[in-house]
Amino acid sequence: MDASRRSLLKSAAILLVDQWASSRKRVFAGEPSSALGKDERKVIIVACGGIRRAETFLDTGLGNIPHLYRELLPQSVFYPFLRNAGATSHYNTISSILTGTWQRLDDWGKTPPASPTLFEYLRKRMELTQDYAWLISSNKALTSRIGASSIREFGPRYGANVVFPKQLLINAVIRAASQGHAEHSADRAAMQPELEAMLQNADNYEGLGWSVSGDESLLDLRMQGSMQQAIEELVLTSAPVTGDEFTFLVSAEVMRRFAPSLLAITFSDVEVAHFGSYSMHLAGIRTVDRLVYELWNLVQSLPSYSGRTTLFVLPEFGRDFDGSNTNGFFNHRSTDDSTNLTWMMCLGEAARSADVLERPVQHIDICPTIAGLFGIKDLDLPGKPLPGLSA
Amino acid sequence: MNERPDSAQADASSLDSYRRSIERLPITLRPSLNQQVIQWATLFPFEQNRLAHFMKGVETFSPSALAVLTQPLWALEKKMGITLSNFSVASDTIENASLLARSEYYAEWRREVQRVFEAVNAAAHESTPFQTASPRLILLVLPRNLPVDPFSVWKQWDRRGREIKISGGSERLCELAVQGQLAISPNAILAARQGSRESSDLWLIDAEGKLNSMLSPLSPVAASSLSYIALKPFRDRLLAELNKAPKDIQATDEIIANLRREAWDAWGLWPAEVANQPGLRKFVIDLFLSGNGAVIFSNAFVEWAAAEALRRARPRTLVARFGMRSKPKPFTSIAIFENQQRISSLPEVDDPENSAIDAAILARYVWLNACRYPEQEQTLCLCVAEHGDSAFVIPPAGKSLGLGSEHPRTPEELYRFLEAQFLS
Repeated sequence: MDASRRSLLKSAAILLVDQWASSRKRVFAGEPSSALGKDERKVIIVACGGIRRAETFLDTGLGNIPHLYRELLPQSVFYPFLRNAGATSHYNTISSILTGTWQRLDDWGKTPPASPTLFEYLRKRMELTQDYAWLISSNKALTSRIGASSIREFGPRYGANVVFPKQLLINAVIRAASQGHAEHSADRAAMQPELEAMLQNADNYEGLGWSVSGDESLLDLRMQGSMQQAIEELVLTSAPVTGDEFTFLVSAEVMRRFAPSLLAITFSDVEVAHFGSYSMHLAGIRTVDRLVYELWNLVQSLPSYSGRTTLFVLPEFGRDFDGSNTNGFFNHRSTDDSTNLTWMMCLGEAARSADVLERPVQHIDICPTIAGLFGIKDLDLPGKPLPGLSA
Repeated sequence: MNERPDSAQADASSLDSYRRSIERLPITLRPSLNQQVIQWATLFPFEQNRLAHFMKGVETFSPSALAVLTQPLWALEKKMGITLSNFSVASDTIENASLLARSEYYAEWRREVQRVFEAVNAAAHESTPFQTASPRLILLVLPRNLPVDPFSVWKQWDRRGREIKISGGSERLCELAVQGQLAISPNAILAARQGSRESSDLWLIDAEGKLNSMLSPLSPVAASSLSYIALKPFRDRLLAELNKAPKDIQATDEIIANLRREAWDAWGLWPAEVANQPGLRKFVIDLFLSGNGAVIFSNAFVEWAAAEALRRARPRTLVARFGMRSKPKPFTSIAIFENQQRISSLPEVDDPENSAIDAAILARYVWLNACRYPEQEQTLCLCVAEHGDSAFVIPPAGKSLGLGSEHPRTPEELYRFLEAQFLS
């Protein structure tokens, strides 16, 4: 991505978070501040869609992940055999990671997780405000319901902030496209009224991805104008723009401004595989590789994160094998190892001794592990704490 | 395969009998079978034969024997919470698939379904042998404007095959093969003589519009010919309708069902080679509504159409020609499901390198799909990478190629050899 494009996306991300900060001040003005001290631990989970081992940590895929393989693997605790024994859909997998229990919900996020999420455990036990728990996602298969469970003792009052930056851009594109202005000589003129309508219409607020409670659901004027300009310029440029890039930039800005204790980021550029473009799927893997590396460098550079952060990086699952009756890499529906078996990398504070641990582990082991890192150890969960990490 | 097999001549009473038999089966087996009964008139002959064959197999089981055979599947369905009130038995739906896939018993359910189908088909085989033997050809074309990597393009292909270098224009190989197959495709010629332009025995699937032009001068020969470019008016209309679907499984199922029922013929969107072929029109609608990128990318269309043609029609000859796609415009990597010509007025720019990557793996996928069926044992597969004047040839099972790869062959020399050895 060229520098001008990156700075444009970055500006949009900063403005998005600015808007969030101002609305949060109003909505949660009465909430107590953090119970954590200066030396609080931080955990970041990065889940990056469906990626096969063949395109990443097998010999055939190492060229797609130069940063993960050369820069990060040598300093990580690496689990080459991470099994997803649940439903290999996005909403169920992310919910399973967050709850430590295999979730079997409506694939499109109609219902909240049926067990408490890490966000809820953390906020309830440690009396944290919502600004300490965030989920920032590229994936349009998720909904804001993923931020809190349906369990009465927990639920939305202990849930996370959930933001879908990519969805904001998609909404802008769809709105503009629905007007059918292809004959216009310039997209800017065709799209401007649609962008304005989208940004000003309160009914679209949920579509933009905010899980703001209460009535403070209107974007302020400064944000409206800035986002409109950013999106218009993105439309007019010829360079590629990716949703994951924007998700990363919003995540980085949230880290700078809110320094959440628990941040979950889900990337999804690789899911273009559903449409059958292998080259674009590989480009998505390379984007994830670069963004994870940049995220790790950002962690080192931020005083609130440096030296106290553990980063978990994992695909949600693989993809179907070449020759499967589910059309290979297009989908993630088969029940064999190509789809169910993936890998995980842990970096940072809890991963003090770099190692490759071949003992099979599962997605549901992540929740009790992270809970343990925060000192929450009495949870009755089916998963087991991951080996090789120090609490 | 016969174009008009006797066993396919099911009358209304046969279909009623099928419906009654289907009601004896576990719930999760019913949607696909019922859907085929409803769509009987537009099924390809192979599908009609297969359904008739399966139903004959069901009828060989006494009620008690069928109960014994299907009891484990009934029990699994109960454990999975599947009932007639939460599972559509009329047709396959996204909601059905979602309900099954998120169950902890999903893998077990798949194995059990497989077991029941195999047992029923085996019972049918005992009473009527199912003929599949006749020479077949799959020709896959990576056109010259796709710069496939000559060092890696064949690496993951079937080890039974071998690369043959071609001297001179390898484009000629496609012409020879298409025309050669047209000349010796008895069912396609028979169908044409009977006044039909439709044949499920000969398929030409094209990212662009080249293959159909090879067909026209040789008329009368019937074929199923699909071109991604020629289907553009229909694709655009269908995509616009699909993109109205909200983020809700039930509503999406409803929209898809409505699109299946839509009176598309009245819209005047079909290309000439499809307009008069009801079975092919239905195939295209089903294809686009089944996802897999067929409505978005031309090479995904070619691969998925070829895979579905192989599954549903088992053609004697299938020619699939891949092509160029444009580079994504600024927003199309974000909203890839949208029509990028509507999103941006920026000009389309070809993306040869990435088109080649896509086409190379998808061509291999066509062959892998063919390998799932018994007919592959009689199939010669020929994949031509025109950019490198190179062909990968996989002989039918149990046969050796018998052709040295030490020096290049002319297209005529290679095709004559393959035709004489494997296609006669």
